Amino acid sequence: MVSPLLILAAGLGAAFLLGLLRDSSERMAFYLTVIALGFMSFVGLSWTVSLALGEAQPVEIYTAGARPPFAINLRMGLPEAALTSVVTLTGLLSAVFMRRDLMRLGRRAMAVLMVLIMALSGLIMTRDLFNLFVFIELIVIASAGLVLLSQDTRALGAGFKYLIVSQVISILLLVGVIFTYHANGSLNIDDIAATPMGFTGASLAIFLVLIALVLELKPFPANGWALDIYEAAHPGFSALFSAASGSAALFAVLKLFEAAGPDWAPLATGIGLVTFVGANILALAQDHDRRLLGYSSVGQIGLVLMVVGYGYDWDAGLYYVAGGLLISHAIAKAGLFWLSGLVKARKLSDWAALRQNPALVVAFATFIAMLTGLPPFPAFYAKWTLVHAMADYGDYPLIAIFLIAALIEAAVLFRWFGMAIKREAIRPLAYNLSHETVVLIAMTAGWALSFVWGAISGLDNLVTLVPLLFALLFLPLDILPARIKNVIAIAGLVLWFFLSKDGLDPLRLIFLTIMVLGGALLLLASFHAKGRRMGFYTPAMLMFAGMALLVTAETSFQFFAAWEFLTVGSYFLILRGHDSEPHALSYITFSLGGAFALLAGFAVASEGQFVIPLANLSEVAPEIAPYVFVLLAIGFLTKTAIMGLHIWLPGAHAEAETDVSPMVSGILLKAGLFGLFVLLMEMGRQELYGVDLTVLLVWLGAISAFIGAVLAAFQEDAKRLLAYSSISQMGYAVFGLALMNHLGWLLAMMFAINHFVYKSMLFLAVGGVKERTHTKLMYKMGGLITLMPYSFVSVLVGIIAMSGVPPLSGFGGRWIFYNAIMSTDLRLPMILIFMAGPVGFLYLFRLIHTIFLGQPKDELRKVKEAPFWIILPQMIFVAFLIAFAALPGMVLQRVDGYIGTLFGDRPLVWTGRIIDSQYGTWNPVAIWGVIIVVFVTVLLLLVWMNHNAQHVKQFNIVFSAERPFKPQTTHFAWNFFAPYRKAMGFLEMPVSTSFWTGVSNALHGTAEFSRKFYTGNGQTYAVQLMLFVVAVYLISMGASS
Amino acid sequence: MSLVQLSLATGFLLILLGLYGALTNRDIIRMIVSFTIADTGVNVVLVAVGYLPGREAPILDTIPVAEAASRITDPVPQALVLTAIVIGLGVTALMLAYAYRLFRARGSLDISEFTELKW
Amino acid sequence: MTAFPNFEWVQIAYALLTLFIVINYGMVMTAVVRKIGARVGGRYGIPVWQNYVDLLKNIALRSKISHGVMYYLGPVFRLTGGVGLLMFVPTIYGSEWHQNFSYAGDLILALYFVFFGTLGMALGAGESGHPHSAIGVSRGLAQVTMAELPLALGVYALSLQYGTLDITKIVAAQQGSIFNWTLFTNPLATVAAMVAFVGTMMRSPFDVAMAPQEIPIGPPTEYHSSYLALMQTNRVLFPVAKTVIYMNLFFGGATSWAEFAIKVFCLYMISVVIGVVHPRFRVEQSIRFFLKWGLPLGVLAILTV
Repeated sequence: MVSPLLILAAGLGAAFLLGLLRDSSERMAFYLTVIALGFMSFVGLSWTVSLALGEAQPVEIYTAGARPPFAINLRMGLPEAALTSVVTLTGLLSAVFMRRDLMRLGRRAMAVLMVLIMALSGLIMTRDLFNLFVFIELIVIASAGLVLLSQDTRALGAGFKYLIVSQVISILLLVGVIFTYHANGSLNIDDIAATPMGFTGASLAIFLVLIALVLELKPFPANGWALDIYEAAHPGFSALFSAASGSAALFAVLKLFEAAGPDWAPLATGIGLVTFVGANILALAQDHDRRLLGYSSVGQIGLVLMVVGYGYDWDAGLYYVAGGLLISHAIAKAGLFWLSGLVKARKLSDWAALRQNPALVVAFATFIAMLTGLPPFPAFYAKWTLVHAMADYGDYPLIAIFLIAALIEAAVLFRWFGMAIKREAIRPLAYNLSHETVVLIAMTAGWALSFVWGAISGLDNLVTLVPLLFALLFLPLDILPARIKNVIAIAGLVLWFFLSKDGLDPLRLIFLTIMVLGGALLLLASFHAKGRRMGFYTPAMLMFAGMALLVTAETSFQFFAAWEFLTVGSYFLILRGHDSEPHALSYITFSLGGAFALLAGFAVASEGQFVIPLANLSEVAPEIAPYVFVLLAIGFLTKTAIMGLHIWLPGAHAEAETDVSPMVSGILLKAGLFGLFVLLMEMGRQELYGVDLTVLLVWLGAISAFIGAVLAAFQEDAKRLLAYSSISQMGYAVFGLALMNHLGWLLAMMFAINHFVYKSMLFLAVGGVKERTHTKLMYKMGGLITLMPYSFVSVLVGIIAMSGVPPLSGFGGRWIFYNAIMSTDLRLPMILIFMAGPVGFLYLFRLIHTIFLGQPKDELRKVKEAPFWIILPQMIFVAFLIAFAALPGMVLQRVDGYIGTLFGDRPLVWTGRIIDSQYGTWNPVAIWGVIIVVFVTVLLLLVWMNHNAQHVKQFNIVFSAERPFKPQTTHFAWNFFAPYRKAMGFLEMPVSTSFWTGVSNALHGTAEFSRKFYTGNGQTYAVQLMLFVVAVYLISMGASS
Repeated sequence: MSLVQLSLATGFLLILLGLYGALTNRDIIRMIVSFTIADTGVNVVLVAVGYLPGREAPILDTIPVAEAASRITDPVPQALVLTAIVIGLGVTALMLAYAYRLFRARGSLDISEFTELKW
Repeated sequence: MTAFPNFEWVQIAYALLTLFIVINYGMVMTAVVRKIGARVGGRYGIPVWQNYVDLLKNIALRSKISHGVMYYLGPVFRLTGGVGLLMFVPTIYGSEWHQNFSYAGDLILALYFVFFGTLGMALGAGESGHPHSAIGVSRGLAQVTMAELPLALGVYALSLQYGTLDITKIVAAQQGSIFNWTLFTNPLATVAAMVAFVGTMMRSPFDVAMAPQEIPIGPPTEYHSSYLALMQTNRVLFPVAKTVIYMNLFFGGATSWAEFAIKVFCLYMISVVIGVVHPRFRVEQSIRFFLKWGLPLGVLAILTV
């Protein structure tokens, strides 16, 4: 192996060599820089690989031929090697990225860069306290020098502020170092004795060293100076400052905290947590991209600092968790800063320019996923492990704070991503091939490390999951026409269904059918799309991958990973809609919030394990089981959009594209339902403070069913109407499940199937209408029945089925419902369900009437039937609905039998086509028979009497003694249920919306208020810094005594 | 009051003076000067901490190597001071360079005028 | 055919007989009711065969127009709803002839099938394009959301009481004595359901859906000729079919056509009497009425079972 010292030597040597070059030979100087950085990276990487594979042992390097304390020593172990690799590689890539500016400023700037990288590597490797100080000072000088690379004149001020603060820090550090030396008689970090906290000199000394190093991490709120650097410096340097400097400083802190002993660990935890929370809240108020990245950097580093303090005694576990977070941060942040170099203007929305280059959008998405800890990236494993560890220690408040802050961070980042996807760019991309290459290398590194982290996780390696790879396959395939991709996608889904269907119980099989085969069916509608339809198939397949994996998941980890996949995939899908930016944001925020509740629930349930089989949920200790139940239920209920957690749904479903709405409504909502099935199946009834939680669920379901329906009746937008209707329908299903009896579950299953079919059908039909009329507002339509007869038929069948009127399948649901409530003791929630039923008629009638009946509008007289590919799946659904209504046994009988094995009863008797319960009978074929015979007879009668009826034109009516001539004034559609609104309009009060808006405003208000704290004055920052030190000292000493 | 205590006190006084000056003076040059005063204070503290009463300076030319361990004062702080001075010089130089460029850019040396980056 | 247990063709004949009796009974009864109303008001009133005359006149009308397919099918849906409802409910307890096709389902089927005709009719009326039709439908639907609630609660209480959803079994449980009627065994449920009964009979004060003075006759505004004939048939058939359900559930059912005739007439008269002495409610007024009176009664009913 090459000596690690060569990293330092190469850095210094190159810097000196650069000094010898002529001023005019910038090109040569640049190549020299790149070669030196490349060599340094090579050394770092080769050590990382050998150490990781066990081919090399960690080495201690003694300088000056003496051992410590008489000489400085360095160490090269796996963490050091990995971090030097990060630092040197970031340096190399940033150098390439900054090529033009480095060349402009000449060899001196390059020498400064070399010194910076060398010093950062030194900081990582050194084991000597004073050496640490020297490297830090070198970093300060080099950083201040590189800040000048920026063409932004404000960078001058930022650099000077940085120097002021660094001076203060270095004073603290030096005083701390000398007294620590005095106390221990050695400057070697390994010789520093573990020091208890207290009002002693040694304690103060170690405190000064620790706090000085922590200050290098820009802890909140003593970090205004650093943010200015992030904002003003060259993005290439900011990438270094964030990724490399941050990582190196963090490692220095880790070394010192390890030496200082366990007493000090809470200090790191506390400061880290405050920083993570504070930085993320402040980031909410940012509209400047680089400053936002600055806050995000501060927050991420704070998070790792928290982990360093929290897990100081985990050994390898600490490196796995902290490393996972740090590496994700480093790659993503460097990548984002580099990306920001490609974007000319500095507002968040200016990132819309990235859309010119799809590869960059993918990179952007990758980086954001890495930062938010989404699978399959390293931070995902780290977060999973961290939360499980916290739960094991019983630090539940810490979990809550951590997850809430993480959620805020996710909201910040996804808001930004949404802007980039949906806004219009004012200035084009500052395209540069080498810049793009650098960004893409970072992205590739992110994916590669995902593999590494997965492989050593001891859990499943998510990157190797076939469905995920299938989804990713569509990234390169995106150059193909949409239709070809559609064929591949459908084939993949069908194939996956047949590969994974064996061995599933009937319940899971039905969910798998809905989610995977149903997905394939809905994709038929996507044949309608023309051109390439970039960026559709990867998210769609990601969502389906998540759902396929969810149903077959056996462990908590698999389940959660699948959950995140489907959440992220559906987010990207929803974001594609025309006006969906705010709705997609609220979707991802709520969904991730729900996902975090799941994470916390699984963590609490696992009781010291890092993963548990889902079946073990039934064995959770009784004293924590109710809490687990609540957390998991919140997660699932967010997905089914229970009243109160529903505000994301209407916008998200309504604004999505024509073929996406049925996917996210008809299929995706079932994921939450499936989760509840699993939860209730494993955990059963749980009581918290004497309240039976399933009863609470019954109430929640009933309230959703009712309010959802009322709100649906008041919508003017057809797709919103359907979206609210989904809330109502899911309410029924939750209600049924929570009844905790056989028929209740069958009811939920029936709703799962029915809702999938008729909601997909209705969304497709309405979407098809929208394709033709270019509006979703129902009062702008009218009389489309003759123009779009097939769409009309599917809406007609859909609403009859949904309303529960015999003979279609909705009636079966109602029949099971009545039988289910006969066998439960709960009475009051039924009232709401009874009220919800007829309200369903309101919105369903409105849907069909205002679109298809009444008076056609002049401007819509020429619209054609919806496109064939949108009609086709609808007709398949119609056929299915009719068949399912006549022969429900073909699906339900097996499920019924299976649920019977769970509850140990058989409330339904299937004799032939007749279903008998203890209370009554349902004979679907006879119902069909009677109705058809009567209907046909009456129809024939009418035709016989009325066969010569004359078809009249539109305005052949008399209205207030006039013949109307304007459809606008004759088509009764707007505010259709005005009388009902007068009576029940109070239910429309946006209570949940106000609540969540209030939460959001409070956070934004806090952010707006707190940012005033950052006055921009370097002196103020220095004062804040010192006050911070004093405050931390007092608090920590106070806490220790 | 022993020499060590006296110099420690002086050192800390200088540090505080320097910091006070750096944080109250708005003029950048005055700030830089104040920081150098604080740096000096730190250096005095470093030396004072490493000083052993009655020992000689750790210069092995005049002291036999064999007796060195018992006769010389602790050499490490002295080495540290040397390094710290060099680094302090570097940082001061850089700050001065910045001051120059700030003045060139804005025609002012008032720190409170460089607050365009905030929030 | 496993779906039709013990099916014989003669059942169709029996069912047609039931239908024939009920239609004629409805024709005469509604005319008698109108005549009574006229006499109370000091007028002479219509002859009792007036409904037959109207029916024939409508069928014989020569001007026949159509606004489209749904318009055409609206009356078909409407009448199918009425006939089907009758077919799904046993009319005369203990009579083999008049069980109709009640084995197709139970009480739930009957309750939900009530909406079949309403929905189809609303769709047909919608296609006529007449705003009064749409306004009538909007009012009717809005009102029915609350009007049906007490019935649903009453039925729930009742089915809990009898432990079954089978109408025949419910009727059977009420045989023996008049005090076995649900009216006496469960007065709360009965009163609640009767609130709904009055609320859905399309009579004042709950007749805002058809409100002749405001929106000529609401949903059927554009219907004429044979369409109207079908709807007229339904208008005499449907209230009877619905009253049969109430009779079966709360008033001991009927064991003979005579008992049937008396009970249906008495029940029908309840809504008539209330109708003639009360002015019309607006929709929000009637919704509030049902919330204030129907809902608490229903809640009490299900809590006290």
